[in-house]
Amino acid sequence: MTQSALTSLDLLRQVLGHFTDTPAEQIVPEAELVNLQVDSLTLAEMLFELEDRIGESMPEPAERPRTVADVLALIEPYMDTLRAKASA
Amino acid sequence: MSARGRSVVVTGLGQVAPHGRDVAAGFEALLQGRSAIALNEVGEAPHSVSLPTAVCQGFDAAAELGRPRAATMDRFSQLSALAGLSAWADAGLDQPGAVSAAELEDACVMWGTGAGGTQTLERGYRDLFIKGRARISPLSVVMGMNNAAAGQLALLLGMGGASYTYSVACASSAVAIGEAFRRVRSGECQLALAGGGEAALPYGTVKAWLSMQVMASGDAEQAPTVCRPFDAQRTGLVLGEGAAALVLEDRDHALARGARIYAELAGAGTSCDHAHLSTPDAGGQLRALRAALRDAGVQAGDIGYVNAHGTATTEGDPVEIDALRQLLGEHAAKVPISATKSLHGHLMGAAGAIEALITVMAVHTGHLPPTGHVQALDERCTGLDHVLGLGRRDARPAWALSNSFAFGGSNMVLLFKREQAA
Repeated sequence: MTQSALTSLDLLRQVLGHFTDTPAEQIVPEAELVNLQVDSLTLAEMLFELEDRIGESMPEPAERPRTVADVLALIEPYMDTLRAKASA
Repeated sequence: MSARGRSVVVTGLGQVAPHGRDVAAGFEALLQGRSAIALNEVGEAPHSVSLPTAVCQGFDAAAELGRPRAATMDRFSQLSALAGLSAWADAGLDQPGAVSAAELEDACVMWGTGAGGTQTLERGYRDLFIKGRARISPLSVVMGMNNAAAGQLALLLGMGGASYTYSVACASSAVAIGEAFRRVRSGECQLALAGGGEAALPYGTVKAWLSMQVMASGDAEQAPTVCRPFDAQRTGLVLGEGAAALVLEDRDHALARGARIYAELAGAGTSCDHAHLSTPDAGGQLRALRAALRDAGVQAGDIGYVNAHGTATTEGDPVEIDALRQLLGEHAAKVPISATKSLHGHLMGAAGAIEALITVMAVHTGHLPPTGHVQALDERCTGLDHVLGLGRRDARPAWALSNSFAFGGSNMVLLFKREQAA
């Protein structure tokens, strides 16, 4: 897969892969983070790494993300920028 | 039980070292004079430098510890955790029923590190000052703190007694072992996991060491033999990384469960030079050496091997030899000595632990590892029986010293005794 075709789920699977032994195919929108071995500290570190990949600071979420879909919603606004960088 | 307390024995050994994970194979490599030092690049370009170092390769913390745990550990904690788990398993304590829940609740972790999670801290500085990020990793504190490794080991093994970290520069893990020894001897606990870990090779830390002008330099061909303690042409130390662990156990407890006993840890001697922050002092070292012998009720003539602190600095080596000559007196010329840092590098806060492990292996196997690469002894370092070349087989020392002398003037000397055949 080229980075210019990267989806938010692809990106999350790449980053989450550094923090969990859960197979990528089980990282689906409806999955609860706690069931993916992601505790609060790991979540914070994962968001930090996502920021590193995106190249921008994300605002603090109003509520703590509970599911993969919650995290995808946080990073989706940055995906166009990320894809543009990748294809530049 | 002696007047000083319980008899303390070593029942487990573990390492993640420049010579690998296998304790026996690593010791054999030392006996053959095989160096684990190589020319390595430290840091990430353009903030990088090539220099002789001793690094650990071939370990996969994520595979062994699980990705969720490994991802929240600095490299020094990963090395420490793997060494500690190896020692625990080597002692047979990972087997069902080997240790009761109550014994585990009393068991203690005594760990040493000089720099702790310095790679994590450097990553944070890089994010802040080079990348210009507004914040740094949320895990910086818990990964960077010096007691992270001890905490992780207590978590992994369910140990509920004291969990302390000693940061005493190059004597850190020797101090940890000495303090663990005192706790088991006093009867406070029957089991202790003691040792240390260090992964202090980020660019900034290495540059600080380079600024001190105490480092040996060399190209790829020269690197393996560049660290030459006691040699007349020595040029300095070689930084290394790694971790080593000893399981210390009350002898009665070990015997009751049929554990293999490598050696007895019979004495520990402590002192502070109170002379200079970085220049060692023979008087201070001598007090620690004498304290170790007194602690075990041993005479100087009984010593059959000394694993020297021997860093290969021009200033430090003769001071240690001076202290040993004073300690050993008329016996000095017959006492074998070697500085294994020539082969595995200087593991800084973990140096005391890997060298204690090597000393235990020396009394256990009877073989003495050499000081590597010596061509001609510095005349200021003569007067003892230097073990050179390919080491010495079947020397069978009854008592052996492991010296650790740190910046700050802190000294710890550990005294091991050969275990007699049952």
